[in-house]
Order: sequence, then structure tokens, then C-alpha cells
Amino acid sequence: MASTAPADVNAGRFGSGHSVRRIEDPTLVAGTGRYVDDVSLPGQLHLVMLRSPYPHARILSIDTSAALAIPGVVAVYTGADLVAAGVKTMPTPCPFPRPDGKPSAVAPLQALATDTVRFAGEAVAAIVAETRDAARDARDAIAVDYEDLPSVVTLADALADGAPRVWEPAGDNWVAQAKHGDAAASDAAFARAAHVVELHLVNQRVAAVAMEPRGVLAYPDAESGRLTLRLSSQMPSGSRDTIADALGLAKDQVRVVVGDVGGGFGMKTGAYQDDIVVGFAARTLGRPVKWAAERGEEFLVGRAGRDCESRAALALDADGKVLALRIRTDANVGAYATTTGVVIQLLIGPWVSTSIYEVPVIDFDLRAVMTHTAPVGAYRGAGRPEAIYIIERLMDAAARKTGIDPAELRLRNMLRPEQMPYKNPMGQTYDTGNFPSIAKQGLALADWSGFESRAAQSKARGKLRGRGLATFLEWTGGNQFEERVTVDVSADGFIEIYTATQAMGQGIATSYAQLAVDVFGVPIERVRIVQGDTDRGVGFGSAGSRSLFTGGSAVRVASQRTIEQAKDLAADALEASAKDIEYREGSFSIVGTDRRIGLFELAAKQSERRVYVDSTSTVSGPTWPNGCHVCEVEVDPDTGEVDVVSYASVNDVGRVVNPTIVVGQLDGGAVQGLGQALCEQVVYDRESGQLLTGTLSDYALPRADLVRAFRTELDQSVP
Amino acid sequence: MTTVRFTVNGAPASAEVENRRLLVEVLREQLGLTGTHVGCDTSQCGCCTVLLDGEPVKACATLAVQVEGRTVTTIEGLRAPDGGLHPIQQAFVECHGLQCGFCTPGMVMSTAGLLAACPKPTDEQIVHGLEGNLCRCTGYVNIVESVRRAAVALDGSRS
Repeated sequence: MASTAPADVNAGRFGSGHSVRRIEDPTLVAGTGRYVDDVSLPGQLHLVMLRSPYPHARILSIDTSAALAIPGVVAVYTGADLVAAGVKTMPTPCPFPRPDGKPSAVAPLQALATDTVRFAGEAVAAIVAETRDAARDARDAIAVDYEDLPSVVTLADALADGAPRVWEPAGDNWVAQAKHGDAAASDAAFARAAHVVELHLVNQRVAAVAMEPRGVLAYPDAESGRLTLRLSSQMPSGSRDTIADALGLAKDQVRVVVGDVGGGFGMKTGAYQDDIVVGFAARTLGRPVKWAAERGEEFLVGRAGRDCESRAALALDADGKVLALRIRTDANVGAYATTTGVVIQLLIGPWVSTSIYEVPVIDFDLRAVMTHTAPVGAYRGAGRPEAIYIIERLMDAAARKTGIDPAELRLRNMLRPEQMPYKNPMGQTYDTGNFPSIAKQGLALADWSGFESRAAQSKARGKLRGRGLATFLEWTGGNQFEERVTVDVSADGFIEIYTATQAMGQGIATSYAQLAVDVFGVPIERVRIVQGDTDRGVGFGSAGSRSLFTGGSAVRVASQRTIEQAKDLAADALEASAKDIEYREGSFSIVGTDRRIGLFELAAKQSERRVYVDSTSTVSGPTWPNGCHVCEVEVDPDTGEVDVVSYASVNDVGRVVNPTIVVGQLDGGAVQGLGQALCEQVVYDRESGQLLTGTLSDYALPRADLVRAFRTELDQSVP
Repeated sequence: MTTVRFTVNGAPASAEVENRRLLVEVLREQLGLTGTHVGCDTSQCGCCTVLLDGEPVKACATLAVQVEGRTVTTIEGLRAPDGGLHPIQQAFVECHGLQCGFCTPGMVMSTAGLLAACPKPTDEQIVHGLEGNLCRCTGYVNIVESVRRAAVALDGSRS
């Protein structure tokens, strides 16, 4: 290292708390990242899917003969072929019963549909060919005879008497119901309330639109019989397990490798049907097979988020103090109710429904409903944005009804720091939080009280000015708090840390490296973070807002354990007692002497020329990030054009490892939220059941002109 | 099949192509230049933006046969001869103008085209110049800042 600065100064600048430049970026800006479709193998075949144009239809026959006759076509698989080969359905266990108390019953999720398709875009055949063109030509040559069946895509239609059923044996379109709270106590609170407000809220379906479409490159190893799949995934281990189960393989017979991931936002959690089909084809044909999703396919089958309708009511006393919260939600979870799709709406979101407020009583009745639409899954916040939207809209409605300023009404109901730890009505315990302080800072940053004069200025320019205020509370960790990390200090001068959490743009390699620098005191260039290989380690992966919280903590613990273990080795090398060895900035020394040995030098002395630690550690429970966001917009009354003129927020996300990265996450998330507020919606045609927003020409995403500046602050004063 | 001869990143290239072959397919699959990404199938996302005779074009909306005799620059060709990052790439790193990085090559190439035509852009010109490029991670604010910084850096290197 050609540096004149002392090692400790050098290292410290790259430790946690600093806006270290991301170690991911030099590769990514140069175009040398390795996303899933960037990797090709010699002799690889190309797979494309044939997808149903009908939202609900019986498959009468599939004629593949013309497709198979096209030069270069190697195989065509239908659902029947997969079933005959023993490919299993994907399990979608539902932890909640139906509203009638019976166990939940939903259509089995097959890799390729066999007798019935249940949403427009469901795959019915896979074509494998020497070239993508041949595969596409063959797709057009397959003749499927469908019997068109009636379909439902909206909640109202799905719940109407005599509605077409998505899964006939269920008898109706209910999937599950969860009730939380105390209905009788809530009724009593509403009966004695001075003020009651009630809202009907629609949280429309939105698409994640990670810029990198999914893809799979599957390749078998003839000698070992193992199957490797390169995926674009947030959860390599879970995907491996699902794929292995479906293909009837032991878990260790399948390896999932993930390179750079071009955005996830929840929709790349878990295996998709497509992954199983590609894995099956590669194993059956004994050759590498690649499938790259087209954007249109991502809109058709990629897991979307939200899509629920709520009737929500708040009871307040004469002073504006909340007495009770009542929520009735129906969630459209699509044709195949996935476990995540149901749990997000019936449990995870509701955990934060009362948010940062003191709500003595809740009465929630939440139901999941099947429709002939693509399955819904996790998307950016997964249930929590839906929950926060309800309570914040109710706060605004209550402010109007009571005549109390919306900020004041919120402050009046906020939990106070001295109430921590606080168990909310869903049984979730907030460890710490100073919500009023965060809110007051947010209001000050936004100059809440100066709004009227800004509105007057806008009016003078012929514009209408409005504002929105929202506080939020997050639940983190995915209730998966254990994380395994391996640390490999090698003689060649690098510390390689493997973790089964998964990068997808959130900069966790940089943040982990900073945490390792904190412990090892070496320059950040000496630290290499490796992810995305189930042969090197498995874990829950990156979902449920957990990576830095659980994974980062595990990296820190593993690094500390490495130094402890190395101290014993250093004691041997220095012929001293371990208790007399101290570690500082890359070297061990005997306390009070100048006898020392470098960390990497010590590694070189070991028989394997490395110091290796396999560490599993656990964090104690969820954390509760929270914040206060204020947005102001100008509306042109002639055109309806909305201009986001101000966005200010103060956030308590705990200890900040890299402020630039954290602010980038908050701002990017805010723009996704603004996208839902202003332009995004997945639309199915009610009559035909067709997806009308199947391209980026039809599904409107925010562009560079939406927000010109953010004022985003982080308050780390709360433990 | 047609033989297309053109210049890519300063070097001569040729490819045997069907007439329907898109430029982006030739770049990625025949020439191994995988830095040019495919994010959609309707020419909306801009991930495949390259320079054609110095002008930004979407390589998914350009037929390979259209580039006969012309000059294409991809993200791989933007680096300095010494392998260092181009000032635009450097600006994206400094301003945290990327998260997942998938849209980034297209953003950088659009910026290169924009700044070549308009070396001192206003914010309006920047957001207009990036209208054809989608990003889902950053919220764009840091991308716009990256373009501002790149403009200053390039202006400084010219004078």
C-alpha cells in the first residue's frame, strides 16, 4: 500500500459512519458487472415460454409438432411432460383458515399449467432451441386449443354471488382470513367516541419493475449429477431449496449462483415457476439452458405488490386522542395465493398498523381473495406501506373532522420515549424510539408552519399548492435473525467475507466492508465481500429489510471471532500467552513489547496459509426504523400537472454505516412511493381479464423530472 | 445473412447477421460487449443506449444492418486509454448516481451524448436529455447531480 498516512488513520476513514465511495461502483459504471444474462456457456440452448393469452381457460390440447419441425428446435415441454417426469408443484402453505373456518384451499402452483390456466401470462409450454430466434419462431408455431372460461380480476367481481371460481374446490374465491384485536372493546370505544372518521381506501396493484428482468442459466454437471442455476435473486438459498424439491433432488444436488442483481425490491424473493422449468430442461437435455425474461413477461408474471381495499375507521375522544382503530381489508392476492402474498397483507403489514401512535384497541378483519390475475408477492415494504397509508390517511381525516392541525393531532397521539419498550396491540415490542422528536425535526425541516405563505406565492403564479405529511414505522429482520458468515484471512493479504445475504443495489458489500474495517483496522481495499453462492453458505437472503441489520451484525461478530481465534495462533507464533496478545490495525503484539506479527503474515504461517472462521450469530429481535416525511406539490389547475416542489424527511434508521447509501435508499424509496401516488398502476381489463399495462409504454414509471431535490436527514441520537 | 462492418470502440468489427438482428444483440451476443443492457422490449428503458456516430441511440431499436460503415461506442469504449474511468463514470461514482447499476451504462452513454451536444446543460436540459432512460433505484436526483458534475469536469478538461 503506497500511503504515507498511518494505517489506523487510513482505515478509520473507511470504517462505519463515513460516506465511503461504494466498492461496487467502479465495475458497474464500467459496464463490466455480471448480471444474469451477461453470462453464457459454450453449447448453451435458449428457452422461451409460451404463455396463455387467456385469464381463465381449459387447455384442451397442445400441438407441438410444427414447433418441433423448425430447424434448431431441441425440445418442447408442456405441463403434462413435466408432471410425467415427476416435477412437483410448488408448495404455498397458508397459515390462516378461510372465513368459514375451513383450511385454506388454493390452486396448486405448477411450473407449467396442465389442464387449466388461471391468469393471462401463465406459462403453458417451454421451447428449447439452439438459438433464441428458433425458439421464438417455434413458440409461434405451437397450437394450443383453449376453452375460454369466465374470469374475474377485481375484488368486487371475485366476491359477487355466483362469481367464476379460480379454484373450483374452494367453492368461492376466499383464500384466508385473519382477525386481530378485540372487536367488542373496539365497538365500545367507537360507541363512546367524540369523533369517528371512516375511509374507503384503495391501494392499487403496482409492479416492482426492477430494471434487470429475471433470467436463469441452468447447467448440469454430468459427473456429479448436480445442477447449477445462475439466477437474478434476492434469496439464493430459498430458491435452491424450492427448485430442488420441485425437481425431486436433494438440496445439495442443486447450487444457485447469483452475480450482480439489477434491482429486486422484493419481487426477486423465492423461486419462480420459470426457474424450475429451466432447471428441468437443463437436466433433461444435459446441456446449459438459458432463459431471459422479456419485460412483457415480467409484467405478466413477476410478483406485483399491494392491491388491497380497506374500510378503516378511527375513534377519537374530544381531545383528539385515538380510542380505537378498526380495519377491514380485502387483498387481491392473484390466482395462486402464495404464502408471502397472504402473510404480507394478513400479518406483516398489520404489525405496524398502529405505527408510532398510542392506539389502545384494535379490531382488524383481513381477508385474502383469489382472482384471475398474476400472483402477488413482496414489493418495497411489503404490507407496511399499505398499513402506514391507512393510519396516516385516517390521521388527516381526523384532523379535518376535529379541526386540529394534522401535525398537532399526530403529536398528541405519538408514543413517548418513556413508554419504551412498548408492546403494540399486535404484540410487537418496540425497543426504542423518540417519535415526537423525529416528527418535530421533520416538521421543522419542512417549515410546516410556513406553508400558507408558500401557498400564497404559488397562487400568485396561478398554481395550487398542497402538502402531505406522513410518519412511518418499519419492522425489520424478516423474523429471521440468525446469519452465518465465513471469514477467510489469506496469506495473500485479503480478508474475504462470505455472507448468504444478497446484494441487489443496496450497497451492502460496501457497508459490510466498512464494518469489517471497524474491527480489523485494515484498509478497505484489503476486504473482499462475497455473496451469492449456495455452495459457500446458505441463509434466508435479503428480504424483509434485514441485510445490514442481521447480516451486518453477523459480519461484525464474525470479524471479532476471527481476531479472537487468531490471537491464539499469534500467541503460538510469538511464543507468548494468548492473554498477553493484543490486536491493533492489522497486527498482533505482546503487550508492552515490540514483538509483533502481522495478520496476513500470521495467516501465511498456518498450514492452509489462512485463518478461517465459520461464524453463526443472532440478533435479538426486530428494530423499528421510523421517520417523518413532508412533501409539497404544485398543481397546474388548467392541466392537472403535478410538480413535486419540496420533499423533506427526518429518519431514525438506527446506527448509520454509510450515510450516502442510506440517504440514497430513502430517496429512491420515496420516488417509488411517489410513483404509486402519481402514475403507477397495474391495470387488468375487467371484461377480458387482459393485462393492459404489459409494457413500459403503458405502465408509467417516474422519470428524471419528477423530483428535483430531497432534503433527507438522519437522526442517530436515539439508541 | 449479411455481413456488417463497422467500428466499435475504435476497433473494426464485423458480424454475419440476419436482417432482423438488432444492434444490441450483435453487441452482447456476438461481440461479447455485455455492458449494454436490455431492460425492456419496447425501447422505453434506455439501458441499451450506445453512441452511433457520437449520437445516443437505443441499440434495441437499431438494426445491425443500419450501422454498416458507422462508428459505435459502448460503455466499454468510454474508459480512458489507461483504463481509468471516464469523467462521466467518475461523476456517477462520486455522486452515488447508481445503486443496482443496471441502468447505469445507458445513463452514462446518454449523458455522453447530451454533454457532447450541450456542454453546459441547465437542469431542464439534463432531465430532458435523460427522458429516455429509466432508473428504479436512485430516484434520479443523484443521477442529475452526476451529470452536473460530469459537465463541470469535462468543461474543465477542455479548457
